Amino acid sequence: MDFYRGNVLRIDLSAQEATVEPLNMEWAEKYVGGKGLFLRYLWEEVPPNVDPWAPENPILVVTGPFAGTNVATASRVLVGCKSPVTGILNDSYSGGSFASEMKFAGYDAFIITGQAREPLVVTIKDDVITFVPAMGRYWGLRTSELEAALLADFDANAKILSIGPAGEREIPWACVSTDQYHKAGRGGHGALMGRKGLKAIAVRGTGRVTVGDAKAFLTDMYRMQGENVLTPDNMAQNEEGTAVLAQMMSDAGIIPTRNWSTGTFEGIGNINSASFLKIRTKNCSCTQCAIACRQFHVAGGVASEGPEYETIALCGANCGIGDIEALMKFNHACDELGLDTISSGSVVGLAMDLTEKGVKDFGLHFGEAGPYLQAPELIANREGIGAELALGSRALAAKYGRPELAMEVKNLELPGYDARGAFGMSLSYATSDRGGCHMRVWPVGDEIITGTLAPDSLEGKAAYVIDGQDYQAMEFTGIWCAFWAAGLDQMALLMSHVWKREVTEKELRAVGECVWNLGRLFNLREGIEADAVPAKFYAEEYALTEGPPAGRSIGAKALGDAIAEYYTLRGWDAQGVPTEAKLVELGIDVRL
Amino acid sequence: MCELACSAFHEGAFQPSCARLFAAVNPISATIKGRTCLQSGCAKCQEACPNDAIVTRSIAVTPLGLFASKEKNGGFVEGHVLVVDESKCTNCGECYDVCPTDVIHEHPSRHVAFKCDLCDGEPQCIAFCQNENVLAVDLKVDKADMVPADA
Repeated sequence: MDFYRGNVLRIDLSAQEATVEPLNMEWAEKYVGGKGLFLRYLWEEVPPNVDPWAPENPILVVTGPFAGTNVATASRVLVGCKSPVTGILNDSYSGGSFASEMKFAGYDAFIITGQAREPLVVTIKDDVITFVPAMGRYWGLRTSELEAALLADFDANAKILSIGPAGEREIPWACVSTDQYHKAGRGGHGALMGRKGLKAIAVRGTGRVTVGDAKAFLTDMYRMQGENVLTPDNMAQNEEGTAVLAQMMSDAGIIPTRNWSTGTFEGIGNINSASFLKIRTKNCSCTQCAIACRQFHVAGGVASEGPEYETIALCGANCGIGDIEALMKFNHACDELGLDTISSGSVVGLAMDLTEKGVKDFGLHFGEAGPYLQAPELIANREGIGAELALGSRALAAKYGRPELAMEVKNLELPGYDARGAFGMSLSYATSDRGGCHMRVWPVGDEIITGTLAPDSLEGKAAYVIDGQDYQAMEFTGIWCAFWAAGLDQMALLMSHVWKREVTEKELRAVGECVWNLGRLFNLREGIEADAVPAKFYAEEYALTEGPPAGRSIGAKALGDAIAEYYTLRGWDAQGVPTEAKLVELGIDVRL
Repeated sequence: MCELACSAFHEGAFQPSCARLFAAVNPISATIKGRTCLQSGCAKCQEACPNDAIVTRSIAVTPLGLFASKEKNGGFVEGHVLVVDESKCTNCGECYDVCPTDVIHEHPSRHVAFKCDLCDGEPQCIAFCQNENVLAVDLKVDKADMVPADA
């Protein structure tokens, strides 16, 4: 069998048992890999309406068919579960080399169930799986310390997926790290790993991934590398990276600033890409990619990768921090503790807002680096103010009677784009399958950057959002990285190697749509909140007063109409439930 | 990438553990330490071989690739490559012990020594190299240009 290893490793932490099962090839053929395969397994593996914190709620680690080959960007790994934060599906992706190593070890996916009595590390060397007690040696370590310890103890060439101290203490936005700097960041599966008592999985593989005619495959990949991967557009990720967005988003008036009170940050000049270029030391790649978007910087005694735009926006502007050294330190602390930076910056910004409004004094003030820099450690330890901040935005704002100050969708904190200046983002956030997320479809690209769509209108946005979501669902099924932004024609060429036949763009778009609908069914089964966004985005009273979006307002009715139009165009009923006709058309084999 | 391309070219499948060169990445410092064959610039394996199974061949190398490797190699390099004559190799292991960069090993299925042969003149590691500094410098084929792998 080419591209797949044909094995799923089931790791039962309660019994400390690992068993190998054949990959369900019927599902692999229909849902390919990555997000699609994850959702099909999730449907089967999650007992309906299970408490997400329960031992029965599994964590899935899933590869795509191209992991382990030299297809660009395809070494990304999916870490997913029913989220303990949102109660719905949660798929997060991490770059690096973990997925390739899983394939070399012989596995397409891991299904992690149960709950360890005492914390564990699981080591996997091909078919030898060992459960190692984590107390004493590993539990409590920061991510870089843990990686170093496991590389020394287990295998110098191992790849490691782990949680930091934040995951051990079940902080709702604890992330999962691979190769230290890569984070499957959102939705709290790091917290679920902590609950399960799983500190890390270290994997080392010596096996092979076959692709049919390897020389013909290499020839195709070489041509693709030149024509489609290392293009000037993609290499912008190498040169400036996502940090380039900082200045653009502030100029457009949509960078969340001081807990989303404005979209223009006066300190942006200190934390934009020009400032980061001055402290850049090098670029680095994921294992299967030549774009080398990973940028290393040195400042304030910290040498670290990043920060990416979302971190600049939420941990910088949203906290009023225009100090590059403070931002580097905060980002590094989150990396080491295993905290998602989007939620970290969002919660700290909220606490600053509550403090300055006189609601509750957390000792945190916009623009003050001192207490801000202590926050990640306090949160990860649930210590001092950290105990309350660890509630997350929604619960924290609700506790102090100011729910309107929490900027989240379905209890997942929002990323760095204010929908008041890019109306399409409101629909994107409202209909995202995992809550407040920009990685399902990103209208900012055309509303702000290319300027081909009006940023102050929802007209035509429902169709645009659907198109983007289906494309992205296919991209994450592959699994390719958004920094390649492979066209469906390129995906079709790659998939023709897997399916050993001609593949059309149309059928891959249908796979994306199928995957999106399957996700919707799962969310409906588990109980999804109404598709909505914070009132700040649409109510007239909250209109921005400066920057290009000043005075604009989406309006509750326009947003409601757009969501209704979205349901209609999706082939869903008025409550957002996929119709039987749509499920039959897509060949989806499960029902509510 | 280099290990992946190397194994696919020679083994017909992606299997870095069977690559003929190695790039060890430290995930924390994000540094890469490459290990490649130094060919005739080293020749310790050839000297150690009791069966004359490691032979010198002339080769013209045309580096492919999309980064600076092309320019760095002047696009074309002539030199010598050491290849294993499998009919003579007895898998005695003498060469495995003396290789300073640890890039000649026992093949897991053919049970003879296997090593870098510069892919008949089109090194796939360079073609897919993602780092303009590592391989283009290390994969020298002429003694005069030889640099230690850890330079």
